[in-house]
This record gives sequence, C-alpha cells and structure tokens, in this order.
Amino acid sequence: MTVAEAKGGLDALARDLHSRREKALAMGGEERIQKQHERGKLTARERIDMLFDAGTFREFGLLAHQHSMTGGPTEPDRTPADGVVTGEGLIDGRRVYCAAYDFTVMAGSMGMVGEQKVARLRHRALLNRLPMVWLLDSAGARIQEAAGSTFAGSGALFYEQVQMSGVVPQVAAMLGPCAAGTAYIPGLADFVPMVKGTSSMALGGARLVKAATGEETTDHDMGGSQVHCYISGVGDLEVDDDDACIAAVREFLSFLPSNNREPAPVRAAVDPPDRRIDDFAKLVPTNARAAYDMRKVVRRLADDGEVFELKPTFARNIITALVRFAGQPSGVVASQPMFKGGALDIDAADKAARFIWLCDAFNVPLVFLQDVPGFIVGTEVERQGIIRHGAKMLFAVSEATVPKVTVVLRKAYGAGYYVMCGRGYQPDALAAWPGAEISVMGPEGAVDIIFNKQVAAAEDPVAARAEFVETVRRTIDPYIAASWAFIDDVIDPADTRRYIIDALQAATTKKQRRAWRKHGVPPV
Amino acid sequence: MTEVKAELVGNLWKIVVEVGQQVEEDDTLMILESMKMEIPITTPVAGTVTEIRVAEGEVVQEGQTVAVVE
Repeated sequence: MTVAEAKGGLDALARDLHSRREKALAMGGEERIQKQHERGKLTARERIDMLFDAGTFREFGLLAHQHSMTGGPTEPDRTPADGVVTGEGLIDGRRVYCAAYDFTVMAGSMGMVGEQKVARLRHRALLNRLPMVWLLDSAGARIQEAAGSTFAGSGALFYEQVQMSGVVPQVAAMLGPCAAGTAYIPGLADFVPMVKGTSSMALGGARLVKAATGEETTDHDMGGSQVHCYISGVGDLEVDDDDACIAAVREFLSFLPSNNREPAPVRAAVDPPDRRIDDFAKLVPTNARAAYDMRKVVRRLADDGEVFELKPTFARNIITALVRFAGQPSGVVASQPMFKGGALDIDAADKAARFIWLCDAFNVPLVFLQDVPGFIVGTEVERQGIIRHGAKMLFAVSEATVPKVTVVLRKAYGAGYYVMCGRGYQPDALAAWPGAEISVMGPEGAVDIIFNKQVAAAEDPVAARAEFVETVRRTIDPYIAASWAFIDDVIDPADTRRYIIDALQAATTKKQRRAWRKHGVPPV
Repeated sequence: MTEVKAELVGNLWKIVVEVGQQVEEDDTLMILESMKMEIPITTPVAGTVTEIRVAEGEVVQEGQTVAVVE
C-alpha cells in the first residue's frame, strides 16, 4: 500500500491540503487579528487584497513555518507562512511582487524561513524586472533565531536592494513598526509612505536603545511619522491609515514603468495641452520679495490639477512632485517661496537630488520651476555642509539624461539657477517669464561688493548706493538673457503649460550617452 | 505656551503684532528679511501674543525664539 492509499486516496489528501491551507490563511488566529484591528491596523492579507487588482494575487510559501534552530520547539501552528505573506499580482494590470509582514504571527518578526521566502521574491522581482513592494509591520529580526554569531552570514537583503536600485521600483510601506537593522529596507527604497500613529522605524528599537545607551524613549517618539516625514526626511508621505497608505502605493507606482528599460506609462489625457492659465497674475506677486504658494502654480500647470507630492512636509522650501503633462508622467522640482523664501538649504538639496535621481532612473522627464533666491549663506549652513549637499544637487541634475524643461518664474539667483537646471545643465528647453530676474546675486549685494569704495567715498553714501543699485538693477532683465540666446524664450505666463508640454514632446526621442565610467564619485 | 522661532538667519524687518494681541494659527507675527526675500514668521498655534523678544532691525539666528504665544 502506498502512502496515498494509506491516507485514504487523493480526495482525502486534497481535503487535508485544504484544511492545512485554511489554517495558514487564518494567520495568528482570531484573537490576534482582533488586536491588530483594535490598533487601527489591517491584517497582512487584508492589505494585500486592497493593494492588488481583485483576484490577481498569487502566493507562494503559504505552507512554510518556523523551525527551531537550537533544539527548542518548532511551532507550525503558531507561525503560519512564518509570519510573512509572499507573492505577486497585478496593480492596474501590471505585475508587482510583494512581501507583507504579518504582525499577528510572532509580531511579524523576521525568521529564517520567512526571510528565505522574501529573498526568493526579491530574486524573482529582479529576474523579471518588476517592482517590489514591502508592507512592513514587523518587530524586526526574530532574536530567538538570530542571536549569536550565525549573524555573520546575514545581511544580503540590503546588498540585493542596492542591486535592484534604479532597475525596478522599490516601495517600503510603513504600516507598523520596523525596528532595528530592517529599517534599512525603507532606507534603500524609492518610496516610503508612513501611517500616522502606528508606524515607526529606527535602527535600534526603544528597548535596544535603553540597553545600549541608557536613553529612555518609545518606538513612536523616536521613529514615528512625526519624526521621519518632518525632520529626518526618511519618510516620503504621512498618511492617516492603512487604506490611504495602500492607495498611495498604487498611485506612486502608476507614474513609473515596471523597470528602467521601459518608458513611464503614458495615460490618455483629457486636459487640453494648450490650456491657458489666466490667474497667475493673482497668484504670483510681481514684487519679487513677496512670498506665495508655489503648490497652486504646480496644480494649475499639471493635468487635471493632480499633483502627487513626495516629502511634502520635509524641506518645504522645495517641492518635488509627480504629475502628468498631456498624460506623460513627469517630475516637478519647484522652488517654494512660502518657506525660507524658497532659498535652498541642505535638506532641500538632499530632497531634490534624490527625486531627480529617481525620475532619471525610471525615464520620468523633469520640469524645473525656478523662483529661487539662491542657497542660504552663513556660518550655520557651512557647518551643516551646504557645499557638499548642494554639490549633490549639481551632480544629480548634471547626470540626468531624461528630457529636462526649465521655466524661470521670478528669481534665479546664483547657484540656485544652476542646480534648478539653468543653461549649463543642458535643459531641452529653458524659458523665463517677462519679469524674471536671472543674476549671480541681487543688486544690493552686488553693489556692496563691487562699489563699496565708491559708495563710502561719496558725499551722500545712501544716495550713491541707491543710484548704483538702480544701475545694477537695469542689468537684470530676461530680455538681456534672451538677447544673448542664453535662454530659449521669454513666455507669456498664461502659456506655461503649453510651453512645457511642447518641449517635453519635442524631446521624447532624446538619447544621451556619457563617456564610459564605472561610476561618478557623488558628494553625499 | 508656544515659542515661535525663526526658520533661518535674517534681519528682522517688521513686527506686525503687539503683545496682548489675539492671533490665529498661521498668522504672520513678523517679517524677516533674508536672502532677498520677505519671509513671514507665522505662529503654529492660535492664542495671545504674550512676549516679543526681538526688535525691528535686529539680526535673528536660525532657531531663535522671537515671540511667545499662549
């Protein structure tokens, strides 16, 4: 008698299989699922249902479970799927790989078997050149399986994430804790939405911090969205709940191709490409010293007013946003005069450089909207390393070979004009509004440096300075830049959307090859 | 009590509120002149201005408390 016969034939075997599956699909059991819901969180499987187009998710590794590494108990019933759901499915009809950590199973801790599953998932994502999404809700490495010097063999996940970087989009959605070294998963991902209140990330969780340094804190205080989406800049978007988080993941992916060899997915657009915008005069003050909200300008320019901003609450002096122009996904880098006058500091440079690298890696054209008084100067920013941080932005904008369009709205001063894709950075089109001021510095600053002796020697130094300032002011004029053909055109603000779309369409066949090098040496 | 701080170094150009004045969230308390821009310093909370710690024409540093709102 064979084993199958002994067990009652194929039908009975199939029934046994189904009951095993059902057990595994029940995750950590009703009580823990209820607790998960009480915390305001969905389960791993509910999140997956929401992330993928209905009925398209295909799982592997459902029947896996934890094994004791040390002669302790092996508890298959306690560890369905070993705490992580792995598989692939369709998002808006395109295949995406996903690992969803299951907090109802040993607090979503990362065990040996579960990590084998996720490793296989990463390999498949890279082999098939398809995006990878982590839904993170995990206490971190399962210490029972990881403590001790077998640690010496671990860590390949980050190595692999680096190999994936710029080849396939990587998303790390923070739906719960992500403690200890695993916080490098979001650290290396392209998009990191964080749920307010429930998510956190830190290189060391609160208990480890207490043991290592004596500092008392909580996971939330140390690494919640109020830290990472506002201060550290590791988080890309703070969202209210799991639903909003999953929706944000879907939306982010809608702008990107499945991999770096494909064009970004163009959508059919209804918003007319030549739509004129009549109220810029009301939005943008002609007094170049006065602030206004650049977000409103971006909203008017983009298709249907839809703007998907990344890091909207971090380094608010610059805006980085994914939008569509005539259906073409595009990355907007725009000065924000509302905050710090739109002047650039280290966080703004980091935010913009990373965004430019993201767009360039995935064939998303770039649109720069300049109203920049320059980089902030002074002792404070020098100590912070404004030179190497600013250099990062120079590096990113110089490396970018996707179509680049630049419009100077009002001010383009000093290195601000450079890093926001001025003439030297080879924009495919560069235009200015009629009142634009492009100059190395403002007239007052220029006079104090160039004519300080003449001003000091004058009978009436105040009047003399005012006169010199007026003289210099007359040399700051977009028609001078246009007369030398340094800028391609001066445009009517109302036609800005049309200018951008025409320029992007004219550059769709752009191919740019650089001299061979292993890689540059980027300042960080 | 909320301390209102300057976002960046600059010349304090104008103070537009007085001690004792009621303010709403995001109201401008003063205007900083820095980087060729007039940069409003706004209150993150509604309340009463109880202290103004700077004078017009003064240079304020990044992170310096310029007013208190209660």
